[in-house]
Amino acid sequence: MSQQILRLARPTKIELIRLRRRLATARRLHRVLRDRLLILTQELVALYREVVESRLRIHEEIIRCEKELVRTSSYVAPWIFEEFSNVRIKSFSVVLGSRIVAGVRLPLLEHEVVEGHYDPSAYPITLKEVSECYEGVLRNIIRLAETEISLLEVGREVQKVKRKVNALENLIIPRLRATIKYLRMKFEEREREDKVRRKRIKQILTRKARI
Amino acid sequence: MGEDKTLEYLLERELRVVNSYVASKRKSLAELLREEHPHVLTLSGDVHMFRKSELILAKEVIGEDAEKLMLPIYVELIPAQTTTTGVIREEIATKLVSTILGINHATPLYVYPIQLAELRRKIGTLIQYVVSPETLKEIGDFEEI
Repeated sequence: MSQQILRLARPTKIELIRLRRRLATARRLHRVLRDRLLILTQELVALYREVVESRLRIHEEIIRCEKELVRTSSYVAPWIFEEFSNVRIKSFSVVLGSRIVAGVRLPLLEHEVVEGHYDPSAYPITLKEVSECYEGVLRNIIRLAETEISLLEVGREVQKVKRKVNALENLIIPRLRATIKYLRMKFEEREREDKVRRKRIKQILTRKARI
Repeated sequence: MGEDKTLEYLLERELRVVNSYVASKRKSLAELLREEHPHVLTLSGDVHMFRKSELILAKEVIGEDAEKLMLPIYVELIPAQTTTTGVIREEIATKLVSTILGINHATPLYVYPIQLAELRRKIGTLIQYVVSPETLKEIGDFEEI
């Protein structure tokens, strides 16, 4: 299929020049797309790894935090828990921004924590550890959300770009090459025919001149 | 003839897509560190945000030159090369990148795919890829078949 040639109205030199120009453009486009695909694929692989690692890390952290929480709750009254959770953090906000990688807009989530004012000596130290542990989990979940959405977006773009690269690589460029080759052969053939014709005419003219 | 126009259109569009996130005005590292939400506006009107942790890392690496380092750092892709190679042309940016990658400092600095992946991991939001139409001209117009 790739070796098919394009349908030409007339096999002329002008057509050959036009085809060569078209081939050059196709090659440029192919290079640009191929580079973009490479960057996006790198990003996709990195994001995929990050997602897997993040999920495992979050899972482990949750188990650790739960253990800490159970241990702490054995000697801390529930009302102290509640009071501490009210004073520990003043505000927790997530800023949603965007970053752009190789033409794809990806989300960027940055979390901001404002520590509350409290007397640390008034609460058991393990309470703070539990709180920090859960804060870490939350931070990782935010990062995971960002990574997973990015993974989907990049995957979608990779699919699109790959289709274009394949079309150029397996269809458009080979067809153009085959057509150019066909035209060249056609011109060479025409030249050979002309040469033979001229020789033949020369022979006939010489024969006539003798007579 | 129709295909000619389609290819030209696609090439133009692709270049526009790849280069649409070029910042309309770059900012220095020091300036970005002062901002609450460090960001730049792109030509397409989008907002490109920087991760604060990455900005702090850059500040630690280049120290006093924070005023001179303009962000985002442009990694110019060279499609004419057989393997995709990026080139960084700014002096301060090459200093930062070479320190992060642990390679010899040189200007311009050529960055290969494996190093690009590492850069992406460490300072992903500080770098942006651009394709220069000039480098595309290097791909031969007419090839021998």
